[in-house]
Amino acid sequence: MSNEAFTQLVDAHYGALHRFALSLARNGADAGDLVQQTFFIWATKGGSLRDTAKAKAWLFTTLYREFLRGRRREARATSIEELPPGEQDIAAEEIDRVARLDAGAVMAALQSVDDVFRAPLTLFYLEELSYLEIADALAVPIGTVMSRLSRGKAQLRAALTAEERGAGAKVVAFAAAKGGKS
Amino acid sequence: MNNDEAKFVLRAYRPGGGDAGDPALAAALEQAKKDPALAAWFEREQAHAAIVATKLRLIAPPAGLRDAILAGARAGTAAGRRRHGWRRPAWLAMAAAMAVLFSVAAWWRLAPVGGASFEEFAVNFVDRGFRLQKHSADISELEAWLAEKRGPLPAALPAELAALRALGCRTLEFRGREVSLVCFERDGKEFHVFVARREVLADTADTAGPRFHGHGKLVAGAWSDARNHYVVVSDADLPTLQRLL
Repeated sequence: MSNEAFTQLVDAHYGALHRFALSLARNGADAGDLVQQTFFIWATKGGSLRDTAKAKAWLFTTLYREFLRGRRREARATSIEELPPGEQDIAAEEIDRVARLDAGAVMAALQSVDDVFRAPLTLFYLEELSYLEIADALAVPIGTVMSRLSRGKAQLRAALTAEERGAGAKVVAFAAAKGGKS
Repeated sequence: MNNDEAKFVLRAYRPGGGDAGDPALAAALEQAKKDPALAAWFEREQAHAAIVATKLRLIAPPAGLRDAILAGARAGTAAGRRRHGWRRPAWLAMAAAMAVLFSVAAWWRLAPVGGASFEEFAVNFVDRGFRLQKHSADISELEAWLAEKRGPLPAALPAELAALRALGCRTLEFRGREVSLVCFERDGKEFHVFVARREVLADTADTAGPRFHGHGKLVAGAWSDARNHYVVVSDADLPTLQRLL
């Protein structure tokens, strides 16, 4: 691939890949590393990956695999997916409240969603891949993607509500500050 | 297909309409057209998803990431070409490079950080780069660690700042006095909160409300409360920092 074509590929996808990485890694430095590593693999892998029509899906898939390689924790997935669904329908006021939040608060809420739901959920909101492509990228069945989207959305709505409530106070005691483990 | 099944499927329908041609979703979409309650649910679901998607699109990658990707890829492919043409052992070059790197790093770590004021010191400390001694997103864990190290503890933090994701903390010294550093992150921008006890920085002026200054690529905000002086240093822009304080 020529330098020009590679630059075009980076320009087309690095923003969305960074948002996906930021959601997964939960901090900017690791997110930047993941995006760089993904493009580095693309640049050095060899001729077998030169089908540019599939580049987008390949990049998201590779970034996710690199993330998993760093984390090595799949055991939680099964037990979390056994949780019963508990979604309530979205009220109009809830949509207005989310609209008032800034982008950082929405990303923070997304980052608080359980790992197993966060990857498909972020890919869904980035709108770059269909649920079929998400299933391929994450190497899970289509039904599992739908299930994770459904449950992930419920978690995200709860987290967005918490972000919206937290935006009210001006000063908080240090010990009382938000402290969820990553 | 009942409405619960239709909802389950339609939650995978992207808000931008990218799945309009998907035959697997067609039946659920058709059902939503016929059932007003399902249609209303789908409309709110899509509106909610569209707002979240829009907010996420507002998050820009950090400045410099694009250049780093391009430079990294060029270096990688150049290294690949060298490997094919010339079989110099890669570990030998790597070892030499690492030796130089470690000697530079050792000198760099030993060099003291200066600063005429607490704020200037904090900016210089961040600018030089540092390592966290305790990594955790749990504020109570960080507080316990700082207490154990006898570092000054923040009495309170602005709520917007405290709501960011914590990265970790460390202690350090300014003019031989103990300082605590607690680091937060949002959207790839870092916020480093330096805390010093008032009584040990007698010459530091009280700053009841936060005062803000630009320092090249970094910005800083300083304020005081009854117990401590605080400086937060960030690579975010000034308006972002002002909103947090």
